[in-house]
Amino acid sequence: MSRFRPSFFIPLIAFLGLAIIGGMALQSTLSGNRNPSQLPSVLIGKAAPDVALPLLQDRQAELALGNFQGQPLLVNFFASWCAPCRAEAPALEQLSEQITIIGIAYKDRRSDTTEFLQQYGNPFTAIGMDIDGRAGIAWGVYGVPETYLIDTAGRIQWRHAGPLTRDVITTQLLPQMAEMQ
Amino acid sequence: MTRHLPQIIVIIGFAISFVIGSGLLTPATISTAHALTAEEMLADPALESRARNLSKQLRCLVCQNQSIDDSDADLAKDLRREVRTQLVAGQTDAAILSDLRAKYGDYVLLAPPLARDTMALWLAPVGFILLGIAITLGMRRRAVQIDSADNNISADNSISSADRARIDALKRQHENLNKRDTR
Repeated sequence: MSRFRPSFFIPLIAFLGLAIIGGMALQSTLSGNRNPSQLPSVLIGKAAPDVALPLLQDRQAELALGNFQGQPLLVNFFASWCAPCRAEAPALEQLSEQITIIGIAYKDRRSDTTEFLQQYGNPFTAIGMDIDGRAGIAWGVYGVPETYLIDTAGRIQWRHAGPLTRDVITTQLLPQMAEMQ
Repeated sequence: MTRHLPQIIVIIGFAISFVIGSGLLTPATISTAHALTAEEMLADPALESRARNLSKQLRCLVCQNQSIDDSDADLAKDLRREVRTQLVAGQTDAAILSDLRAKYGDYVLLAPPLARDTMALWLAPVGFILLGIAITLGMRRRAVQIDSADNNISADNSISSADRARIDALKRQHENLNKRDTR
């Protein structure tokens, strides 16, 4: 009866192991290193998709990213119906002093987009209309706003899903932009 | 046979839960509401059935654990349309899946591909089954050893008849104790 049985401790050790793994996962989620809703982009390092889109101001003309090649670009997917897009509007306005920003209005009506820009400011050098969301699929967009940093060779260097907060801009975007220069 | 009944029941239980858990029964027994609307469907029934099959393999990225076949989300609808556009353009199923994978990553596939970093995920169930078999076999062998140790004592001629009588008396005593315990 009093014989020492190592197998007695197997469940205890197994439980402690699981508890440690779970605790580490929880810790990294709480500290913000791991966000389960944030998907890694597989397009980083690849050429930005060039889906021809009609311009907001001119139905006949097309938005071609190729026209902007040779300079770094910020491509921002937004929509008038998207609340976080309103929140990030001032940040984009500020960024537009440092980099050319291309807007892609995702699944939006022209009149609504125009109204949105009048109300919240227009930081965009050009705006393409992705009315049916086809360009969004080509870019791997799963929700607006999403922002892509394109290098001078037309490759995607960085991507952020969600609004550009001050934290995201200072800790991620600005260092990435500095790296390109 | 009756001795092994508990084990057999446990094994059958595992088999049933495996079949249910793996979803082998669900398409026939449980009908789920479909998000697909009539105007989305393709006229060609062969292409449409391929589209449905592909849709079931693709994750709706905003609802995360639904396929685009099940989801009502806007993005799921757009992805269903994308699948159908590519099918009509003559793409193969594999080409469509790999195209979406190139845009959205492995995450868009509901079944993660077998790769180095998903090896543990795929092999863990097999590992657990092997571990279970090993534990069961180990327990059985120990039971057999105790049984044969008992038999060895009864067959051993070097034990005197007096000792044998003492062994038998102790055994009876032990059995009586066991009986009392179980009551």
